Amino acid sequence: MTIFLASVGFGLVTASVLAVAAVGFTLQFGVTDVLNLAYGAVMIAGAFLAYVINQAGVNVWIGLVVAVVACSAGSVLLNSGVYSPFQRRGASPITMVIVSLGMTLIIEFGVQAIAGGTSVSYTLSEGPSVHAGGLVLTTVQLVVIGLSIVVMAGTHVLLRYTRLGKAMRATAANKSLARNCGIRTSRVITITWALTGALCGLAGVIFAIDAGSFDATATDLFLIMILAAVFLGGPGQAYGAMLGAVVIGLATEISAAYITPSYKYVVAFVVLLAMLGVRPAGLLGATP
Amino acid sequence: MKFTTPVTGIVLLVAAILTGCSSATSSGGGTGSAPAGAALTVADVAPFSGPDAALGPTYLASCYGATSAINSAGGVLGHQLTCKSVDTRGDPADAVPAVNQMFASSSNLGLVIGCTSDEAASVVPVINAHKMAMFCMTGQSEFDNVKFPYFYRLVPPDLEESYAMVAIAQQLHYNRIALAFGNDIGSQTFIQPAIAAIKKAGMTLATNQTLDLHATTFRTEAEAIIQSHPDVIMTEALGAADPTLFGEIKQLNGGKMIPIIGTSAAISPPFFKSAAAAVGATAFTSNFHADNLVVESSGPAFKTFSTALLAEQGKVPGATGDFTTYLSAPGGVHLYDGINLAALAMLMSKSTSPSVYGPDIVKIGNGVPGATVCYSFASCAASLKAGKAIRYEGPGGPTSFDTFHDSTGIFQVDTYSASGQVNVVGNLTATQLRSLSG
Repeated sequence: MTIFLASVGFGLVTASVLAVAAVGFTLQFGVTDVLNLAYGAVMIAGAFLAYVINQAGVNVWIGLVVAVVACSAGSVLLNSGVYSPFQRRGASPITMVIVSLGMTLIIEFGVQAIAGGTSVSYTLSEGPSVHAGGLVLTTVQLVVIGLSIVVMAGTHVLLRYTRLGKAMRATAANKSLARNCGIRTSRVITITWALTGALCGLAGVIFAIDAGSFDATATDLFLIMILAAVFLGGPGQAYGAMLGAVVIGLATEISAAYITPSYKYVVAFVVLLAMLGVRPAGLLGATP
Repeated sequence: MKFTTPVTGIVLLVAAILTGCSSATSSGGGTGSAPAGAALTVADVAPFSGPDAALGPTYLASCYGATSAINSAGGVLGHQLTCKSVDTRGDPADAVPAVNQMFASSSNLGLVIGCTSDEAASVVPVINAHKMAMFCMTGQSEFDNVKFPYFYRLVPPDLEESYAMVAIAQQLHYNRIALAFGNDIGSQTFIQPAIAAIKKAGMTLATNQTLDLHATTFRTEAEAIIQSHPDVIMTEALGAADPTLFGEIKQLNGGKMIPIIGTSAAISPPFFKSAAAAVGATAFTSNFHADNLVVESSGPAFKTFSTALLAEQGKVPGATGDFTTYLSAPGGVHLYDGINLAALAMLMSKSTSPSVYGPDIVKIGNGVPGATVCYSFASCAASLKAGKAIRYEGPGGPTSFDTFHDSTGIFQVDTYSASGQVNVVGNLTATQLRSLSG
């Protein structure tokens, strides 16, 4: 029972990090039509930027803010400099996936060329641990969970109650129709890149904080988990991504308590494949 | 939102490929004698990226040190020696094309070093087929009795290192042992011999956890280890894995570390830096021991070695942390010896072709009756020039190659100081290891 409760706690932390990343990823995909596989690489670039700042003696939470801003700007540049020109030339979705895969390698190995191939850690006090039953969480982990809840709530408010959120939803649903209705879709798309880039930066730093040690390729496997959460919830569905993150986060950590832990990611994908078999559009995706 | 199921499948497949994406830097190949005056390349075939990325720079540091000393002593048969990196990413699938590219893209390759357990099984046959001499840092037992004529090894089989770890646990009076090894080939080879040795020593295996080196957290594994109440954890999971595990164990164990026994691969500056950053230098160093091959820390061979290596500080790409740690790193020491042995064999045979100079590596390493013992490339080269038979003894101590070109050393026990310097705190006798063997 103790290990079950402990693994639930671990699952919540994993789900929190995953949720921030997955919501950003799915919003980006839903509104911009780009399945940006370079998302994980941008995350780790943000994490390393915060590391550089942290190594200069600055608090990592300030590094987090800088990474959020930098990844936001970087994502806008990535779109305007790379993805958008390809889209204007009528590149197919699969071509865009390959382009994003290329960007992944460029960014990831670019970071590695600068930072080296070894792992690094932030200088950060974990704070006192909180024990509740079998749950053991550090103050930093509680902050990560709190940040995730704030992001989820903020995303809900944005999409449900703001003009921008409604414009994003309209653009995601039907770009041409949205444009004909007077929505400046290109502007909405740029803002979406900025917002989701910010989430990407946030996810990168809290991922690195949660992992403890990280290197330039640390998000390779995590990107697969992001994709699992996104597709489990339904591609383009922000609420689906939140739900998917919780399911994947808990499934991986709880299963690790009872089977060989190295198979925990297999469990995540078994859950995903089973779900896609029953509901191909995902948990909250629109059925045709 | 407008994504169809088939496309979903393709995308997931493509994304999955991400985890195996490869990169390789290449250096030269070619197995004949190098043209007069051309630089002769020593290729460091090892991981420079991925979880074991610390290994490549460690070997490169020894290459820089050895080749610099050789060049200062006049080079080899009119050739200067240079070092190049060949990144295997620690993955056999990436290693083979990287090695093939190395052979295809250059003509003055004189020696290969590195070839760790991560990639040795796949690249050794390829390098051997190209008739290129190699000094490999693999302990895999498959090389104990399979003859590759161009393969040389100055490190013991992994199973002996497993015995060494258990012997350290015995010395420190630990009884309940937890194992936590990475899921890479190089780390997995330790597990079965370690379990057998634990049983033979009358100790208890508390738990055996396999760590996925690509995973980002090991909280569940850490919790399982803590709940098994071990006295000590034996581990090798390089890259971010071990530091992450240590940090999570400390967190979940009420801020207390559990003692750790690592392998010789943990004696490297990047490992110390990562582990100390994860749990704090004091907590790490007061709970850490590692087995390591006996290396000299004084005497003429060490003096030459340390002078040559430390002169390269700040020049070796990818080398981070306390550079003096490389003086004790098994790869740093034994590959330095390997390069010297190969270079001296070239002088002795008057050829840079491995098929010609290879047999002389064994003669110089094992010596012949009446051979002059020498401790550096310069002094050995002078003896050769004077027409004397030589026996080279480097900082790794005397060598004794068997018919499979394996020369296994003996072990010492290392710890770190809080500043990252390596301290030798004990030795393991052959009798101790034999008592733990199957």
